[in-house]
Amino acid sequence: MTRKEELTFESPTFAKRIKGMLGVDFYRLFHTPLFYIFLAIAAIIPAMVSAMTMMPDQSGDTMEPLYSNVWQIIAASEALYVIRTIGDYANMNMVFIFGGIMVSIFIGHDYKSGYVKQLFTTHAKKQDYMISKSLVCAFAMACMCITYFIGGTVGGLLAGYETDVKIGSLIIAVLGKMIMSLGWASLYTFLNVIFRKYFGISIASSFFFGTGILIIGAAAIVESLFLPTGFLNIFLYGSSVNACLTSNIGTLIVCIVVSVAWTVFYNFLGTKILSKSDVY
Amino acid sequence: MGMQINAIEIKNLSKSFRGMYAVDHLNMTVPRGAIYGFIGENGSGKSTTEKLICGHLVPDAGEIKLFGKDYTDPGVRIRVGALIENAGCFPNSSVYQNLRMQTINLGLKNPDEEIKRVLEIVRMSENAHLKFKNCSLGMKQRIGIAMALLGDPALLILDEPINGLDTDGMRIMREILIDITQKYGCTVLISSHILGELEKIATHYGIIRQGKMIMELSAEEMDNRSQVFISLKTKDMNGAKAALKRKYNTVTEEDEYIRIYDIDNTAEIVDFLMKNGHIISEIKKNKIGLEEYYIELMSQKGEE
Repeated sequence: MTRKEELTFESPTFAKRIKGMLGVDFYRLFHTPLFYIFLAIAAIIPAMVSAMTMMPDQSGDTMEPLYSNVWQIIAASEALYVIRTIGDYANMNMVFIFGGIMVSIFIGHDYKSGYVKQLFTTHAKKQDYMISKSLVCAFAMACMCITYFIGGTVGGLLAGYETDVKIGSLIIAVLGKMIMSLGWASLYTFLNVIFRKYFGISIASSFFFGTGILIIGAAAIVESLFLPTGFLNIFLYGSSVNACLTSNIGTLIVCIVVSVAWTVFYNFLGTKILSKSDVY
Repeated sequence: MGMQINAIEIKNLSKSFRGMYAVDHLNMTVPRGAIYGFIGENGSGKSTTEKLICGHLVPDAGEIKLFGKDYTDPGVRIRVGALIENAGCFPNSSVYQNLRMQTINLGLKNPDEEIKRVLEIVRMSENAHLKFKNCSLGMKQRIGIAMALLGDPALLILDEPINGLDTDGMRIMREILIDITQKYGCTVLISSHILGELEKIATHYGIIRQGKMIMELSAEEMDNRSQVFISLKTKDMNGAKAALKRKYNTVTEEDEYIRIYDIDNTAEIVDFLMKNGHIISEIKKNKIGLEEYYIELMSQKGEE
């Protein structure tokens, strides 16, 4: 097998490159404990919050359960951009915080192990890296939404909460949040690419954006000015909140548009930054 | 018959960090099929050059061509394998899993056969199940080479692959590198501080200093430049040295040995000293190797 013959160089197509990158990322996802640990976290935390958390009542004398309905741990009863109680906040949007940490660890391992060098030495382009990480992490977060749903439901049922709900709205809320995973995963991939040299900052920034604190703050200002808050749906956290127990098909369309738009934006920006900067 | 295309052709390549040039208008030519020994002091720009070729760093200026094509061309990149600094493996995954991931990335059709092939080349067939983090340094370096060998690369870039290895590890690595070039016809660019080892395998050399290529030469040219000398010990070192100086031009005393340069006939020296009443206790023929040549070249450049 000596190579005295003429060498041939066949450029792999985008489809072949992205298939390779996705293949590697999915292989890693399924063959390392990280993914399964986060699936378990996503199931256990809502179950515990739903079944075990007690809050003082309005008088402050007695403690009462956080929720009265099983599905409140899945999504808020309406689009609450400003939170007043922990119950308003603790719903499936928490997956986007867990997801942010998971994406940071997933991408951090790429850089820490040096595997990213193997990828970029061969045919992988920076664009492929961004797309692949966004899609695989979105898949992981969507799976976490499912385990969250199971954990939250079981916890609520065990606590004996009522189960009344508009099934269609519940399904749309869960689907909406799963679709929003794509936008969130793209944001986290972008943040981790920017802060690739600083793992601590990567994880802290993912956590910070994942909490939605910027939108919550903006919503508080908007509300105090008696302005409509609907425009906040153009942001990832806004649309994620908007997927609530009164959702309709319009909510789902908004989620798709917002999630895809931010995905394109973050992937474009991340690719530009990666292309113009050193891998290390 | 077409013109021979070089595996690597670099023109005026520059890369700076915080205003300091790590690679300074570097020119470099690596012929196809060569084992190119890339030599330089710490911080001379070897690793930076290799990282630039691998696309890990973005150059400030210059041109890099691999097999006549732009180095960013995915078609040519897919035929490049590299071991830069470390193997680039996930520590908690097994050797097999790490290799499997790279076969997926490269889109190889028979991954298990390919993994078996590269593990045989690097003498690691029995260790595929080991977790990467549990492998020894020598094994990790070999796994790095196995990763780089996946997918039939035409060019291998190896940054200090024998650093930190014991004698046996170095021997295995040398055998592997010779195997790769002889059996598979790969072009290999290898940087190393251990010049004695490099000398045993390299067909070409490039010497870099302060980011600039100061010399490129083939092993044959290096051989022609190497000086031959005879070293010896006698009971009366001063007397013998004085006698030799009367007949030969370059006679020195270094490391408790008398050295006579530009002569390789030991019998003539033995005969001469015996006739002059000197008894030789030790005599041998020597050749200035790559290491001494390099040190001399560096000291000349330092004085300039």
